[in-house]
This record gives sequence, structure tokens and C-alpha cells, in this order.
Amino acid sequence: MGSATNALIFKVQAECPITRARAALMKLPHYEVHTPVFMPVGTQGTMKGLLPDQLETLNCEIILGNTYHLGNRPGVDVLQKVGGLHKFMGWNRALLTDSGGFQMVSLLKLAEITEEGVKFRSPYDDTEIMLTPEKSIEIQNCIGADIIMQLDDVVQTTFQDHDRIKEATERTSRWLDRCLKAHKRPTEQNIFPIVQGLLNPELRRQSAEEHITKDVNGFAIGGLSGGEAKDDFWPMVSLGTEILDKNKPRYLMGVGLAIDLVVCVALGVDMFDCVFPTRTARFGCALINKGQLNLKQKQFESDLNPIDKDCECTTCKNYTRAYLHCIVSVETVACHLISVHNIAFQMRLMRTMRENIKQGTFPQFVKKFVNEVHPDKNFPTWIKNSLMSVGIDIMED
Amino acid sequence: MRFSIKQTGCGSERIGNLTGFLKSPGAEIETPTTALFTQGGSIVHLTAEVLSQVFSNTKLLWLPLSNSIHLETGVKVQNDGVAKFAGLQGHATCTTLHSLSESTPMGHFELDRVPLWTKNGKKMISADRYMDVMEIFKPDIILAIADGRTSINEGGKRLSKSVERSYTMLKTCVDRCKTSKELQNSSLVGVVVGSGSEKKLDDSISNTLKHVDSLTGIALQGIVDGTEETMDIDSEILNKLLDKVGKAFPKDLVRIFEGHWNPSVVLSAVEQGWDLFDGSYPVKLTNMGVALKLNFDITKDNDTMYLLDMIDERYKEDFTPILGGCECLACRKHTRAYIRHLLNTREMLASVLLSIHNLHHFDQMFCHARQHIASNTFAVFKQHITKQCEMLKDFAPYRYKAQNGPNVQTEKPSSKKKKQRLVSEVKSNNGS
Repeated sequence: MGSATNALIFKVQAECPITRARAALMKLPHYEVHTPVFMPVGTQGTMKGLLPDQLETLNCEIILGNTYHLGNRPGVDVLQKVGGLHKFMGWNRALLTDSGGFQMVSLLKLAEITEEGVKFRSPYDDTEIMLTPEKSIEIQNCIGADIIMQLDDVVQTTFQDHDRIKEATERTSRWLDRCLKAHKRPTEQNIFPIVQGLLNPELRRQSAEEHITKDVNGFAIGGLSGGEAKDDFWPMVSLGTEILDKNKPRYLMGVGLAIDLVVCVALGVDMFDCVFPTRTARFGCALINKGQLNLKQKQFESDLNPIDKDCECTTCKNYTRAYLHCIVSVETVACHLISVHNIAFQMRLMRTMRENIKQGTFPQFVKKFVNEVHPDKNFPTWIKNSLMSVGIDIMED
Repeated sequence: MRFSIKQTGCGSERIGNLTGFLKSPGAEIETPTTALFTQGGSIVHLTAEVLSQVFSNTKLLWLPLSNSIHLETGVKVQNDGVAKFAGLQGHATCTTLHSLSESTPMGHFELDRVPLWTKNGKKMISADRYMDVMEIFKPDIILAIADGRTSINEGGKRLSKSVERSYTMLKTCVDRCKTSKELQNSSLVGVVVGSGSEKKLDDSISNTLKHVDSLTGIALQGIVDGTEETMDIDSEILNKLLDKVGKAFPKDLVRIFEGHWNPSVVLSAVEQGWDLFDGSYPVKLTNMGVALKLNFDITKDNDTMYLLDMIDERYKEDFTPILGGCECLACRKHTRAYIRHLLNTREMLASVLLSIHNLHHFDQMFCHARQHIASNTFAVFKQHITKQCEMLKDFAPYRYKAQNGPNVQTEKPSSKKKKQRLVSEVKSNNGS
């Protein structure tokens, strides 16, 4: 595979004969991950009230931690002493950490980006901190996740200034080199570069083409899912998967809605992450194929069905919509129960896609899925066009 | 539900068992024991899945109507009892009007109705309305509705009303239990009130005794009114009360003592022959971010603190479990440093892990108590635990967190608290 280390071995097991979807086994230092995979986000070293044991029961194989938050609390010293995040939180399977850059731009108004790095004021003690590519990797080396992300220059997805976008894209490439150089644990951790360029195809192409020349074991597509139109979103994903090495995993950052997962797997994406399933759970919303149920609504007061009768999760086996309706937004238990279901939902969707890819029935699955979501066949253009681009005509019976 | 005494100790303490539950006929719950306190029908912070990792046997769920009356519509539609509706089928249930540990406004009584303070405000409840809900919830044990939220310092007029009203309501409960088809398998527990005055207490006892044939147990209220101050009772006064009320009733009634009393008070009650507790104590600790860590081994010295304020900075790099050798899931898999981090970042898993440990550990205290009763060494065990509780009488978080909830920073730690910290630091260093 041309990589210098074997901290990641990616074996494609089956490819869809029509679309770009593939099922693979991604061997990481802590666990063998089946792709396409959805990675739930456990920001501060915990998955919103769920025990690591529960995540294993739910078949989660890899989860996310946020470098920015973990670097602040519990802090690098604690993580160093305990021997990394795996040990600290009692999670034995694979982990991925982000670079910490995104939080700074999204959370902090005072962030200032220069060639050296991202300068910001800490919300914890108000001191001025400089996050450089080297610093980001140093913290991530200490956290010890199986996959770590390069620091990238993040610009709001809907930002229009071409010069700034160009600068950010090119700086991201320069920062990648600095990250790779600063990386101290290449046999245990993999740095993924991030393809940038927002909605500009030229810049995206340039970014991806530069990244594939580097000695890395996988790639991420970033800068999307930030409020752009879906018709603008999918061509950028497609452009990425077209250029990026077929023999390495491709990770689309921040995407997790069911329909987006299905379309992007068809476009050749292998990994996804999103806070949505656990965040929406906290607001009392349970995921189903057609979207979500807001369990706060009075219509569920006497509904003795589980959230989803086809779901095998402990919530659906044990609890009715009527009971969840009673405790939602009052008891923490409600939040845990819906989180369990929502993660189970994501896991089941990914497993179904993997099985269909392996059985050669993925295009049929996609058609069935989009028809279930839009039984009136009133498909949004982006779904029609994106799937058409990989050989699935959803209008055809 | 049936209660029978299996063995008595040197004093009034006894081992008994509860059997004949509606939904788990084969199950047996040994007493003295604690129920598991619920909110909205669920064990606080724990899903059924996680609960099954903590306890594999049938437990008694403690269900105050104040936090569960909103389940009524759903339970009615499903028509299979409240435990099943709350996803906890197979567990036994005990319902009561209020939790004695919750603080509520005073007053608002009517002739034949008492206020029920729910998350949606005040609901006035008559005995008949209470029993209507019981017919829907179908619990194994029903504490009779009573006007029992008076403190031990309550005025005479209020106490008279409380005793009178509770008696009227008890009569309704007894009648309804006799005639209702739905409640044939539920057991009624009489509630003694008026503890603030010897005479009123006597009245309440004799009122309750009039219906003793219809009762499976008794509970004692009228000691605290929900506020923290009223929990501060001289242990001798409390012991006298427990002794007097216990002895006034036939031995084969199960005796229930509610409230978030510390282990020392609980074991005193056990010594007076009280059998069942409501389980609000470990929940309260969890909600304050505190871990319970009693030393059960009577052959070992009491050199460690029995409460750990888990958000304390000193646990930041402490990679040991809450309690070495503890069999609970939280101690087997997680460290103090991790729990400290979760509290510090206000993550919900903190409460889950603390609940797992505190519920397990509090339950263990009763296991040890039963073993010591069986081997006639209960007095030694009680003394051993009481000593630990006395060492921490002024536990700082216990005071300020009770009012402010968990994780609240006080403006400035008092010198007393600083001293406390220092002491416990030294102790816990020696201990581990």
C-alpha cells in the first residue's frame, strides 16, 4: 500500500458493481473496524451518559474524542500519566480525535488565524493560547487515538471570499507537512489529511491531489456540512472520492443524517461522524428511517409501540413510546434511552449497507431506502442527481 | 405480598423476608433492606439495561406519586402495572404519596385532601383519588395516603389536623383495598403520624391499631417535613420514637422508615427492629457528586472517610477505583480520576457511575447488617459504622450542596472546610 507504517491496514472486501460503494476491513491498533462506519462523537471522553460497555453492546467499533476539550479537561498531564484516553475512559476499541481547530473557530469569537497557527483566548482562564500544527499533534499523540487529524485552516462553509478560501486551502496543505513532521507515534497512530476548498471545485481538486502524494494511510473530506445547499454539497464529496486513493479509507467529516449516509456511501465514502444522533436524543427526538419522532408530542401519550418495532436495541425491547413521552426532558434516563436507540439506529443502517454491498444488492437497497423516505416519489434534486452520477436512477422502477 | 420474620438478633433487630409479589411470585427479598428510589418510574440515572448490571435479583422499587403521577394515562392504557410500564417488569413496587426527602411548600391542606407537589405544580389529592391511581399502578405495597409531612417541632394544632386527616384517609384506603378487585394482591401499610407530640403520636398509633388486621406493615412519618433542618434530630429522641412505635404494633408487620438518613441512623432503626428503607440516601449522595465508601470490615480500623466529594481536585490524577475491592461495575472498570473529570465537565455519565456504586454499596451495607444479625454481632457492626459517620459530621459538601445542587462552587471555602479537606486528605492517603 505504499505506506511507511502498518498502523492502519485497509482491506476492501467487496465493491458495489454499479456505485462507488465498498465494504472494507480497517485494521487499527486497537480494533478492526468494518466500513462503511458511523463514528458516534464522545466529545469529553464519554458518550453522553452511556457506559463504554453499552457502546460495545451497540457494536460501536470506533468513536470520536475532541482534542480541544480533552486538552483542557482532563488535560494533557492527566492523559499522559494514565497512558492515553483509551485507558482514562475505559474504552478498548478504536478512537479518532479531531485536530482541535474546528472547535476554536466554531466556539470562539476571538480566534485569529495566522501562518503559525490559531491564536485564541481560552474560555477557561482567559489566557491567550496559540494552537499550532505541532501543538495539535503533540496533544493528539498524548491522547493516543488510532486516527488523528491534521490541523486545518477552517473557514465557514458558506464563506464567499475566494482569496481567503484559497489561502485556507493552501495553508492546510502546508500545515499537513508540519503535522506529519511533528508526529511522534507513526507506528501507533495515523494522521489523516483534510481535503479543503469549501465549495470551489478547483481548490478541492488541488487540495486532494496534493494530499494523495503524501505518505498517509487515509484521508478526510472537510469543510462541508456547514449549512451549504445540498446541491452544492454532494459534488464536493464526489470530487473528493474520485481523486482520493481507492485503497485508503475516506472520511467525510460532520455528516450523519440517514439519507446523507446512504448517498455518500454510494459516492464512495467509508467513514462518518456526527453529533446529531446523541444531540437530538437530548431534545427527546428518536431516529427512524423516515426522519425522527419528537417524543415530547402528545400523540405518543398512549402509544404502546416501541420507537421502532424492527429495532433490536434495549430501549425498543423494553420501553414504549408512551413511557418515553412521560419522562422525556425530565429524567436523565430518557436521554440515555433515546441515545441508545439513536446510536443503534445509525449502527444498524451502516450494517445493512455493508451487507448489501457484500451481497451485491446495494443499488436495490438505495432505491428502496429513498422510496421509503419519499413514498410520494417527490425526490429532492440533489438525491436524484447524486445517485444518478453513480449509476442509480431512482425514478426508474 | 407477605412479610415473615426468619430470625431475631440479640436486641430488637430481625431478619425477615418479603415474598408473594405480583409479578415475580418466586422472588424473595430479605430484610432489613433498602428499596430502590425511583423518579418517573425509573431508577434515578439508570436505565433497565444498566440496572441489570448492578442487581441481578428482584428489587423493591420505591415510587413516590409526586414524581410519577404523570405516568397514570400510559399505565392505564397498558393495564399491566407501573413497573412494567416503566420498563422494570419483574421488580416489586411500593408506592407512597411524597418522598420525605423532597422539599415542598408548606400548608395548602383541605378537609379531606392533601397537596401533591409535582413537577407541574400542586394537585389536591383525596384518599379516593389516591386509591384510584393505586388501582391503575397495581403496586405490591401501598403506603396509605397520610398527612405526614410535619416536623418533630410542629405545633399542636397542625399535629391534631395531621392525625385526624390521616385517620380519615386510612379508613378510605382500608375500605378501598377490601372492596377493589384490582387491589386484591396489594398490601396496605398504615402510616403513623404526629411524632411531634407524645399525645398525638399515641392517638395516631391507636387509630392505626384499629385497622391493624387490614395492614401488612406500618410506616412512621411526622418526623421531617422535607426541609434539611428537620433532619437534624437528636439520635436519642429518634431512637425512642422508633422503639415506641415499633413496639406498639404486632411484630409480624413490616416496619418502614422513610428519609435520606445517614448509615448510622439507618442502622439504629434496624437495631430497633425496622425493616425497610426508601433508598433516597444513595440518590442524594449521587446528586451531590459524592461517593459512599463505608468500611464494612469490623476487624479493620476506621481510618478512612466514608464519603468522598468526587469533584475534589485531589482525585484529578487518582487512577484507583472509588473503593478498592468493590465488585460494582463502576469500581471494576473506572477510576476516581475519570469520575472526577466527568463531574468537572458536567457529563451525565458521572451520575450513572456514582449511582451504580452508591446503590451497590448501600445495598451491601444491608447484606452485612443481615449477616451480623444472623451471627449475633449486629451491635458491633452498628458501632463500627456509627464511628465512621461521627468522623464526618460536618462534611462540607453535605451542607452546601444540599441547597445548591451538585458541582456548585461556594464563594470561599470556610476555614472549617479547609481543615476538613486537610484531615480527609491525610486520612485517605493513609487509607489507600
